Amino acid sequence: MSWHLTPAQAHEYASHRADDVTAMSVEAHIMHCAPCRDLLPGDEDWLAESWAGLRDVVDRPRRGVVETLLASLGLREGTAKLLAATPGLYRAWLLASVVVLVAALFAAHHLPRGSLVFTFTAPIVPLVGVALAYGRGVDPAHALTSVTPMAGQRLLFLRTCAVLVPSLALCAAVALMLPSASTPWTAAFWLLPSLTLVAGSLVLSHWLHLSAASAVVGLAWLIALASMVVSEHSTPLQLLAPQAQAWWATALAALLGAILVRVRTA
Amino acid sequence: MSAETAGTGTGGAAPSPSGAPSVRIRGLVRRYGARTALDGVDLDLGPGVTGLLGRNGAGKTTLLRCLATDLEATRGEVSVLGRNPERAAERTEIRRRLGYLPQNPEFYPYFTAFGLLDYMAVLKELGGRRARHEEVRRGLRRVGLYDRRHSRVRRLSGGMRQRLGLAAALLGDPELLLLDEPTIGLDPEQRIRFRGLVSELAVHSTVVLSTHQIEDVAALCQRVLCLDGGRIIFDGTPGQLVDRARGHVWERSGHPGEGHTAWRLADGRYRVLTVAGSGRGPSPAGAPGGSGDGGLVPVEPTLEDAYLLLTGVDRDLGLEQCAR
Repeated sequence: MSWHLTPAQAHEYASHRADDVTAMSVEAHIMHCAPCRDLLPGDEDWLAESWAGLRDVVDRPRRGVVETLLASLGLREGTAKLLAATPGLYRAWLLASVVVLVAALFAAHHLPRGSLVFTFTAPIVPLVGVALAYGRGVDPAHALTSVTPMAGQRLLFLRTCAVLVPSLALCAAVALMLPSASTPWTAAFWLLPSLTLVAGSLVLSHWLHLSAASAVVGLAWLIALASMVVSEHSTPLQLLAPQAQAWWATALAALLGAILVRVRTA
Repeated sequence: MSAETAGTGTGGAAPSPSGAPSVRIRGLVRRYGARTALDGVDLDLGPGVTGLLGRNGAGKTTLLRCLATDLEATRGEVSVLGRNPERAAERTEIRRRLGYLPQNPEFYPYFTAFGLLDYMAVLKELGGRRARHEEVRRGLRRVGLYDRRHSRVRRLSGGMRQRLGLAAALLGDPELLLLDEPTIGLDPEQRIRFRGLVSELAVHSTVVLSTHQIEDVAALCQRVLCLDGGRIIFDGTPGQLVDRARGHVWERSGHPGEGHTAWRLADGRYRVLTVAGSGRGPSPAGAPGGSGDGGLVPVEPTLEDAYLLLTGVDRDLGLEQCAR
């Protein structure tokens, strides 16, 4: 090869017709020779795409633990990002949930009728989390996020899922440590009421602010329990008995149906 | 105030390339309980920058929130980018083509600048990861925050957060850009940069800018809307607004006395505004027109003078007392 590429050599190389030895020589030469590099046709789109890819590798923001975990479970990258950034997952809320549930566990082991504390609180913990996950006043960036295409039902349900998983896991862990939890089935008495209350607040949020809807549902639950505590003819555990579970399941199914209808029409 | 009304809000819209205005509002009423924030607004908006001026509580933010699909109208018709924001599917389509910077935007403090914009880009349904990241980087460069892309939001200054909000609003080059007090906290250099960005975008997009910074309106806007009490009291070009103030702005060396809207300038002279038909202040006949001591000299009004006259600022601020 001469000191510089001839147009014929450049064309041969660019059209992938140069043999391996010539191609290697050309590549070694054009690394240091700008005029010869200019003889080769440049694919601007390819170059821009390559640089974008390189930048994305070098300059990609580090993902958080939750986002990485969710992505490794097979969730789409965007969905994992939205779930991980749920305001309701603030450390303060998680910490408060742990404190409340540990207090309920302590009461169940050390106070007479102390298990009632857990009965009262277990369905409320996820409800509070959901209430804090979406809406003006609880989401600092709501003014920005509320006018995006994902805002509304889609973001609300995504965030509800994000809050439900850790709160239900916490409640389940505590329920298994209750003195009365002889089997996983008896430890899960709170689950259906809990899910039903959350579904009820989501349905109500069509007409009320989500926080207000959650407050209404939570208050109704507490009033129902309290009235059964003071009544001479009933106990709060009747609300959680196997027969009552069928009613909870029916209510939950109806509410989920209403939510599905709303999501499809949204 | 009715004597000051210049337009209905429907006459100044430049048509979009498709011929239809980007925003069409008829008889918009928005109430918060018993308070009426918008009271029968009619408005057409097309490409270009439109400035919204008005006192606090005049209805500017409410109007922007209605356009941003954040608030529903109590009564009236609103069409944004040819779609009805009351229908869920159309509302989502509007949001795909919309950029909105709210007043005093708040963010998740634990996010980085890049992470926050990336989060907003996901919410805006922008492309795959690589294309989205490129758009985020472009946004950060546009507002001069690329070097701070890995900084947590809580470590950014107020002006930087404002620029971050602006970058979020600009993601995806929206067809309709709504900016509520966008230049609060920006230094002069950033303000110039902001003007460049907005004017560039306004070639093809509709930009609505609500602000108290009259100089931003003078520098950027082809059209000015003044709101007062939830109604549009002026709709025209900045030049037309200034024209209305001709013959009502004066300067003199001494204080004009009680009953005038006046303030002391840096050179010690007083700038005096006279409200047409108020029966107050100097009349042209009373102005000597010369430059004698204490004489009133008519001067060229600024947009700020015109705005103050239009909104009748003297009626409850008592500027002449503040200025002493």
